[in-house]
Amino acid sequence: MNLKAVYIHIGWFQMSVTNLIIVIGMVVLFGLALTLPFPGNSKGNKKGKGRK
Amino acid sequence: MNDRRSELEAAPWSGRTRRYDLIKEGVAALVVVTIATVALSTLFGSPDDKQITFKEWAVAAPADFYATTVQELAGSSGTGGYGAPYNTASDGVNLGPLHLAKLMGVTHPVDTVNDFVITPLTTVVNSGPVADALKQWQSSDSKTQAAWATNYDNALTKANQDATKVPSGNYGPVPQLSGGLLSMAQAGSLDGALLSQGNYFQSDNTKQTLFMGDGSYFNDQSTASNLQGSTWGMMNETGRYPGQAWLWLYSFWYQIPPFNNGDSHPFGANADAWIMVIMGALSLGLIIMPLIPGVRSLPYKIKIHRLVWKNYYQEENL
Repeated sequence: MNLKAVYIHIGWFQMSVTNLIIVIGMVVLFGLALTLPFPGNSKGNKKGKGRK
Repeated sequence: MNDRRSELEAAPWSGRTRRYDLIKEGVAALVVVTIATVALSTLFGSPDDKQITFKEWAVAAPADFYATTVQELAGSSGTGGYGAPYNTASDGVNLGPLHLAKLMGVTHPVDTVNDFVITPLTTVVNSGPVADALKQWQSSDSKTQAAWATNYDNALTKANQDATKVPSGNYGPVPQLSGGLLSMAQAGSLDGALLSQGNYFQSDNTKQTLFMGDGSYFNDQSTASNLQGSTWGMMNETGRYPGQAWLWLYSFWYQIPPFNNGDSHPFGANADAWIMVIMGALSLGLIIMPLIPGVRSLPYKIKIHRLVWKNYYQEENL
């Protein structure tokens, strides 16, 4: 981790690869949180299903 | 309308309900977040780079240290001409007629001549020439002192910071004082002398940071580690450690015109103040978002909530 950082530099945009990995990780995590079913709340799970 | 709303709000919930263990959820979240925080900070926590000391600076770049000392005596350093809150040398950044720093006044006075050079020199036993130089300086009036220091500062700049190439002139004791402080720093005595100014328990490193920031050595270290504002430095850490990615928007403004040109007026030269205003306005916008017509309706148009509660919307055929 103490090695010289690697940067992506395009025009005025610059970001370290480490930061980029974290940002991509956050976006992926957000996407998964939206799309993956909540544990115990899947269809057919009577316990997690509410009642009218 | 209001009656109908009150009626609806007062009516008992007639939709579906489900059991929900809030305590269990809270404990699970706390445990997971605690484990993740400890594990991630152990693996990727901020690096503890070795502190840069005055000894390190004076040994590694003596010419830079020497020239910076001369500038402190002449008042031509970055700190010397900064203005509030350290001195009255300039008006500082402004938002049009509003000079923000000047309005706050000199709340942390820094006298570069005495705080950085003369006072530290008086705390040690100096060699003959340095002790004599100190006496000569202290027995002279401020006008003479300023003339000596300015003469030598200009001559040293012309000689590209090479003291051996400075022609003789009316420099008074400035070369000896600067040489004395260089020797003191190289011996490791200056760090403590600068820190010990003030209270018994000292936690204020402003003077050390300012003095070090006036030279090129500290600045060069920042550049080498991509920590300069012009290279998104706010977001970065040294080495390959993760930085403050959430500061991207704050850092972004410094990369684009007119803020990326420190010489352009009025925005570039006052980028700190203008960007603070922009970010303040954007933050305020975020806080009062529920009150902004159009913006507050965006969730209805984006419909992310339907993704979050997709089961409900599927089951209810909504």
